[in-house]
Amino acid sequence: MMSFAPRFRQGMKAAIPIWIAFVPSSLAWGITAQAHGLTIGEIVLMSAWVYSGPAQFAVLVPLAEGKSAATVLIAGLLMNLRFLPMSTALAPFFRGVKRWPLLIASHVVSASSFIVPYLQFQKERQASAGRSVADGYGNLGFFVGVGATSFTVWVVGTASGYGVALGFPSGLEEALKFILPGYFAGLLVAEMKGWTMPLICLASIVTAIPGAMFDPGWGWLATAAIVAILGWGLEKWLSRA
Amino acid sequence: MAFSRIELIFILGLSALVLRALPQLFLVGKSFPETWDRLLRYLSYALLCGLISITLFMTGARFEAQTAPYRGIALALTIEIAYKTKSAVTGMLFGMVLVLVFSWMR
Repeated sequence: MMSFAPRFRQGMKAAIPIWIAFVPSSLAWGITAQAHGLTIGEIVLMSAWVYSGPAQFAVLVPLAEGKSAATVLIAGLLMNLRFLPMSTALAPFFRGVKRWPLLIASHVVSASSFIVPYLQFQKERQASAGRSVADGYGNLGFFVGVGATSFTVWVVGTASGYGVALGFPSGLEEALKFILPGYFAGLLVAEMKGWTMPLICLASIVTAIPGAMFDPGWGWLATAAIVAILGWGLEKWLSRA
Repeated sequence: MAFSRIELIFILGLSALVLRALPQLFLVGKSFPETWDRLLRYLSYALLCGLISITLFMTGARFEAQTAPYRGIALALTIEIAYKTKSAVTGMLFGMVLVLVFSWMR
């Protein structure tokens, strides 16, 4: 069993591609939010307290244009619903950790800080034939190593974005935009087994487009949930048949 | 009832924290039955794939038809390389270079 500190360092190393990806997106958020008239305090508060890129972008226009509170809150809530299954999937790996550290650490649950630790824990569990789940504090160390450092990059990048204009050449900007989705896709595919997961991933990628065209806020979330439930149901049905 | 921007940001953050923290506080250390574990995994992965898709191919409600084929090819090759090498970083770097090359060619 490893303690918190070495696992934290291990998490930090695993998070380096996320930091690189967060630099342009956090700068972009800072610049866009400033362009929409948000103050530096509001921009940094939003990054630090909401800490959810898609939700921050989704509520920016209604927030800046003074739309109703319900519009802003529902848009944000729908975008953030994805944290619920992600956080639930991580919970079994933090066995034995007290509630306060969990409450504080849960603030940095995001798509990036979910997928990197989750796949790492799965790999470790498989390597130890299902016995490694119990090292809750070690696992929390890894998770915080990924999550807290990425969070810091996001908040600092946001504040910097307020002050600087994006000077990246357009081609380079496009390549930087590819880092995070490319890294997620690589992580997912490197761990894929069987037919259900590739099918769900492919269907989710394809159906997200009409979903987002229908409603950029919740359309793709709905299609992803439907695809996952259908894939899960189909797998259950076929295993019984 | 009208809220200021700061109040709205505070409520937004609070709702995000609730969604993040509830499972951590009440389900920590609990093992789910295999079938529920699978559903959770599929839901999380499907959401991630949805996020990949909208990040690469969409701007708000608009499909980026001009760049989508290039990004689609880069994504497919990223997946292929990551699968073959079992390395997400290698796949990502390859895809990034490809996106860069495509953007120079256009």
